[in-house]
Amino acid sequence: MKAPEGMFDESVIYVTKQGAQVQVDGGRIVIWDVDGDEGELASFPIEKLDTINVFGGVNFSTPFVARANEHGIVLNYFTQHGKYRGSFVPEKNTIAEVRRAQYDLSRERELDIARQMIAGKIRNARTLLSRKGVRGTDVLKDLGVRTESDATKDDLRGTEGEAAERYFQLLDETLADGWMFEKRTKRPPEDHINSLLSLTYVFMKNEVLSALRQYNLDPFLGVLHADRHGRPSLALDLQEEFRPIFCDAFVIRLVNRGVVNHDDFRKDNRLSDGAFKTYLEKFEDYMNEELTHPHFEYTVTRRKAVRQQAILLRKAITDELDEYHPLTFAR
Amino acid sequence: MSTPQTIGQRDTLVPVSALNEFVYCPRRFYYQHYHDEMGTPYELVDGRSKHEKQSQRGGWITERYFRAAELSLHGKIDLIESDGDLLTPVERKRAESGQYFPSDEIQLAGYCMLLESAIEEPVNVGYIYLYKTDERYAIQITESHRETVRKIIDKIQSLSVDSIPPLTDNPKKCEACSAREYCMPAETARLEPEKARGTGWEGQI
Repeated sequence: MKAPEGMFDESVIYVTKQGAQVQVDGGRIVIWDVDGDEGELASFPIEKLDTINVFGGVNFSTPFVARANEHGIVLNYFTQHGKYRGSFVPEKNTIAEVRRAQYDLSRERELDIARQMIAGKIRNARTLLSRKGVRGTDVLKDLGVRTESDATKDDLRGTEGEAAERYFQLLDETLADGWMFEKRTKRPPEDHINSLLSLTYVFMKNEVLSALRQYNLDPFLGVLHADRHGRPSLALDLQEEFRPIFCDAFVIRLVNRGVVNHDDFRKDNRLSDGAFKTYLEKFEDYMNEELTHPHFEYTVTRRKAVRQQAILLRKAITDELDEYHPLTFAR
Repeated sequence: MSTPQTIGQRDTLVPVSALNEFVYCPRRFYYQHYHDEMGTPYELVDGRSKHEKQSQRGGWITERYFRAAELSLHGKIDLIESDGDLLTPVERKRAESGQYFPSDEIQLAGYCMLLESAIEEPVNVGYIYLYKTDERYAIQITESHRETVRKIIDKIQSLSVDSIPPLTDNPKKCEACSAREYCMPAETARLEPEKARGTGWEGQI
């Protein structure tokens, strides 16, 4: 099968240079070093971008923001260390018919979609472990089967919780000597591995947010994660299937290949400035890395694969497809 | 729940350019109208404000907007050739392939019907002009053309958001289609083969 052309190439950019300003020049977006004397740092054709992530002290010119609104470009703000602060979302980011379908979803249909997502996550967890030669994943297999008979969202959350517990018990075995994973801790992550996992989940959540917004779904109305003020529940739902196979795999690669060392962390378990920059570059490379799509058999970047899942989710929500088809890797 | 809104209720008149789009692929047309999934949003051609200042030079009338409630049709004719009393619409096509398509004929027929309703005289010939080859074809507008136009207008007006048209009967059209990345015809055929049954995508994978 031949991959469809276009659209997702270079669609997300990251600006980390402190004191930089994002401007427009004709049909291009230009990143300009306002504070320093480096001049033009980079430029991109405006119609190719849909997301710009900025870290810390980066400014937007007013004409640029007007143009971002016009072209449907989402702006995400992070602190210099990658903590999410908020977004600018263009006004045309709603299509009534799609939103209506999303709000009209029945409980059963939501459960169906959520089941597929969790089954996909468990499948991918098993695949990651087996790629790393970890044994003892039979429990995960059984839990994957159990999702099919979970009759309520709470049952499904229970199955997911058990699977996560089992999976994280085994994750330690995938790490090179000198690294240890004891248990998953958040807010704040209590060790270096948890810090890298948390950071990567934030970045992936953001990829998913961009993808959902691109296809006019409301990221704040979930199918499984409970709706809570300010929480992008649908993004968290869709992120589930990518967590093991993309996020955790990326973190394992970073530490096992020695890209990140224990020396790269500060006392509070955050990455040092230099290491964070390396992290960003590696994450970007990783999202642009190509793989053979497991269902479609053509070559796609990870970013494109994530965006296609947003399309497939929308098609399930608007009844164009009968069910949601998660991105699963069987091997 | 109330009955789903149809395009017919939303815009009572069908733009002539929509005839061409619908003939090319009803599904693509559906995405364009309901899901804005074409890159650039579809804009209704409404001549009352913008297109009224038509220019007239020699034997040409350009950019003239017409509406015909009895046909449920409206649209802007880019170019009308006038030769004495005889008015003939011209539809210009880039036509990289060097040829025009049946859908272009249908669009031209729509313009002829609009024009004859405006001048209250029969318009039975239109021209298709191809930039690529600098050739002009005289098209005899037949009753079969007119019948097709009326049928397509009916179909467009009864289109509803709840019933997505099937995949195209001719997968070749997908190659150049800007909606392909969203439509995912081959992917749909693979994930849910029953959705491709009876379309040109059946058995393509």
